[in-house]
Amino acid sequence: SMRNYFLNIGIDTIQHGVDGLVYLLTESSKLMISEVDFQDSIHVLGFSDELNKSLLQLYLDNRKEIRSILGELAPRLPSYHSLEWRLDVQLASRSLRQQIKPAVTMKLHLNQNEDQTAQVLQTDPATLLHLIQQLEQALGEMKMNHCRRIVRNMK
Amino acid sequence: WEGDVKAAGAQRRTAPPGTACPSASAPRLLLRLLIPCLLALPFHSETPNVFHFKVFVGKVAFKGRAAVFSTVCWGLANKCVISNSFILDDPDLKDIDPTVLKHCHAAAATCILEAGKQKADISAISTCLEDCKLDKERIEQFCTEYQKNKDALEILLGSIGRSPLHITDVSWRLEYQIKNNQLHKTYQPSYLVTLNVENSDSGSHPDVSFSCTMEQLQDLVGKLKDAAKSLERATQM
Repeated sequence: SMRNYFLNIGIDTIQHGVDGLVYLLTESSKLMISEVDFQDSIHVLGFSDELNKSLLQLYLDNRKEIRSILGELAPRLPSYHSLEWRLDVQLASRSLRQQIKPAVTMKLHLNQNEDQTAQVLQTDPATLLHLIQQLEQALGEMKMNHCRRIVRNMK
Repeated sequence: WEGDVKAAGAQRRTAPPGTACPSASAPRLLLRLLIPCLLALPFHSETPNVFHFKVFVGKVAFKGRAAVFSTVCWGLANKCVISNSFILDDPDLKDIDPTVLKHCHAAAATCILEAGKQKADISAISTCLEDCKLDKERIEQFCTEYQKNKDALEILLGSIGRSPLHITDVSWRLEYQIKNNQLHKTYQPSYLVTLNVENSDSGSHPDVSFSCTMEQLQDLVGKLKDAAKSLERATQM
């Protein structure tokens, strides 16, 4: 039976087998190698054709998921999640009465390694318009020829 | 003694008031306003007023505009008196007893800060100073100086207080990811946005940085534009 089959093989052998499979799949997925390259690579191991076919299928079925998991391991900065905003007008404070001071209060939600942080920030109307202008310029860059050319040529 | 003060006062009246600096530092502002007050030391007046030592330490009730000169402002005035040596080192004032000088400076500071806080107009201040038994000339001089520095004072007072981290600027970086040690051929554009922020207390604070995709940045800009639009609508109301 299956159980006996496994019990007859040493723990070490199984360990090595698993490690080998993991290495094969992660390296192949990481490099995103083509079918042909994959087949050529495992050919040298001298396995049966049937086994080689199964391995190839295993690779093709799982590489997308493996790649997304590997992507999580990459160094990352906190990433944007969402932004809430609110309009405030300061009417008075302890040191000055009769004010009209507009402000935009924001809550910036960021993701960092599975934790979500929220930071409360504030800005004045002039700076808000400046922020919008700067970030719109940033968005515009992707549409410029320079960026388009690079994206096209690096596929 | 009074004669000396009056003589000194005559000199000072002709002295130029000094240039108003846009980022009016509190001590300079107060010193300029202090000088006319100093010259009107009503030490022999029977009615206790703010320039009497006992009044501003709170031992004697101040008649007239008692509510205005509260001890709350005394704390603030104390803060603005900053360093005594600043006052004591001024060559124009060296003939006056240092203790008297300190008291008057604190009293004048209280008066000025309270007027600034309440956004008092010139007539209110004049009336108030009349109650303090200052003569017309001194009041006029005080009010002129006050009027000159009123805006700077309001800006200064308005900037005191707590607020959340204030965004002052933004910088961004567009990058195209090719590979990392975990994953090759990633081929993805991404933005790195840094918000420069300032703390109301200490002035500086580490910047808030985050990465985002193009879609996320579009979302962010969209939300900021909504905020700007509602600001515009609010100003038209």
